[in-house]
Amino acid sequence: MMGTGGLSLDQAPPIDVPARFFLTAPLFAIAAGLLLAWQGPTLLISRWMPGALAATHLIAIGYLGLIMCGALLQMLPVVAGAPVPAVRLVGTATHLLLTLGAAGLAWGLAGGGPTLLWMGAGAAALGFLVFVVPLAIALVRARGAPGTLLALRTAALALALTVALGLLLVAVLQGWIRVAEHTRWVDTHAAWGLMGWVGLLVVGVAIQVLPMFYVTPAFPAPMRRWFAPAVLVGIGVASAAWILGADLVGQSVFGAITLGFFGFALITLRLIKRRERPRLDPTLLHWWAAMLSLCGAALAWAFAAPPTLIGVLLLVGVGVGLPAGMLFKILPFLTWFHLQHRQLASGRFDLRIPHMGSLLSTRWARVQFGLHLAALVLLVCSLWVPVLARPAGIALALASLVLLVLLIGVARTYRRFAALLRSAPSKAGPQT
Amino acid sequence: MTDSIATYMTDDHQRCDHLLAACERAISNGNWTRLAEQATEFSKALIDHFDMEEQILFPELVAVSPWASGPTGMMTMEHGQMRSLVEEFSEAVGAQDADACLGILETLHLLIQQHNSKEEGILYPMAEENLADQTPDILTRLQAA
Repeated sequence: MMGTGGLSLDQAPPIDVPARFFLTAPLFAIAAGLLLAWQGPTLLISRWMPGALAATHLIAIGYLGLIMCGALLQMLPVVAGAPVPAVRLVGTATHLLLTLGAAGLAWGLAGGGPTLLWMGAGAAALGFLVFVVPLAIALVRARGAPGTLLALRTAALALALTVALGLLLVAVLQGWIRVAEHTRWVDTHAAWGLMGWVGLLVVGVAIQVLPMFYVTPAFPAPMRRWFAPAVLVGIGVASAAWILGADLVGQSVFGAITLGFFGFALITLRLIKRRERPRLDPTLLHWWAAMLSLCGAALAWAFAAPPTLIGVLLLVGVGVGLPAGMLFKILPFLTWFHLQHRQLASGRFDLRIPHMGSLLSTRWARVQFGLHLAALVLLVCSLWVPVLARPAGIALALASLVLLVLLIGVARTYRRFAALLRSAPSKAGPQT
Repeated sequence: MTDSIATYMTDDHQRCDHLLAACERAISNGNWTRLAEQATEFSKALIDHFDMEEQILFPELVAVSPWASGPTGMMTMEHGQMRSLVEEFSEAVGAQDADACLGILETLHLLIQQHNSKEEGILYPMAEENLADQTPDILTRLQAA
């Protein structure tokens, strides 16, 4: 049966595997929002504030890490014909470890003490490790759109390096090892995480998903082929130069990468404008806001704006918004897909499966986008008008709460229909 | 005209994508007469495409490489899912229910996309390889269908 890999539906993981990642993630964004609402402007004084470090890791690992891992487990069999081996075991372990890790690490960084810090970091690192190894196996076997695969492979490599550097920093904080100028190592950790893992993943997903979802023209071929490896090599060179103290080389290569992402964002906005599907759906609104945030972050870097501004634009503008938008499409589609298979297996054709429009309310998804946008604008403004920090935190928490409620709604509909379809014996459908 | 099965079939996929997008444009303009026409054209294009595969391409492929019956069977099952969504869509067009139309088209669109990426990535290249000798003959029949 060679060459039939990607055609089998059995390869899609059971729906509860990605769903538990998606339903846990918003809790961490809510926590980050509440932390900001509680601590107020002090959290935003600098990126070294314990609250800022905690909020960053709540979003980066708890929210973004969970959604991305869940989505990759789901996506690889479909787009690359490459199922992740032992997906249920890998999914369960990754989900538990990342959840505990993100909570422990954030609490530790916020002032919970060294034990929580290293246990949290250890659990998160172990979670990513448990995830990255089977993912690498799947990615090596994968076939399909070369542009996407290249970006996913480089992103996975960047994730591994981010985690390794993170562990090194924890060891430094604990006094187990010493490095000269540890702030430079922090910069490198952040660069691998934000530009490498998050950035390249966004690029890989955009290349695959924008033409597919909205019938836009494809990304230019040189961008599909060269962008991801160039960024990967660039971050490698820049971070080595940065750590070795060759500031000029480091700055200029980081500058080139920033320029590259700026170009990517502009191309993406242009492709979105040339799409054939006219609907301005909430997912598209989130793409739009995220790409504008990316442009803003690049400009902020070029004009030497405070790092907190760049962090806010990348973490909240791109990192919180874009995944929320993607979930508005992913979870309803998966739900429909799995229900349909249950229906085929049970032969209950008297029941009509709810289509995507009735699984998740587009109106409420727009409300979610509005709240997210309000949070982003308030957060950016609060860097100059500190009194806006608390409202920004509340808006961020509310936006993620609406996201969570919408996702729970989809999951409940799934359960209701799955129960109805269970009344006849099921044989051939995917396990759920 | 192309001399490649994969290109011919892929172009037809894209034609269907454009027709689905045209339906959505008619909905967003609130033009129900236009939508009814667009919906008919889109449904016909999609169903014709399934028929070409099920009646010509898949049987030819299975005849030269019997193990292809697994993947082609899977594709045929997905055609069934899409056929029933097409039916649901034409009911929603008849009922002039814009929300239902958009929700069904969204579902159909995503289903079509992931189905097409499997066909274009795996099945068509497989057909090209295994049916090389008969390509001109099969293309003539596909074009006539």
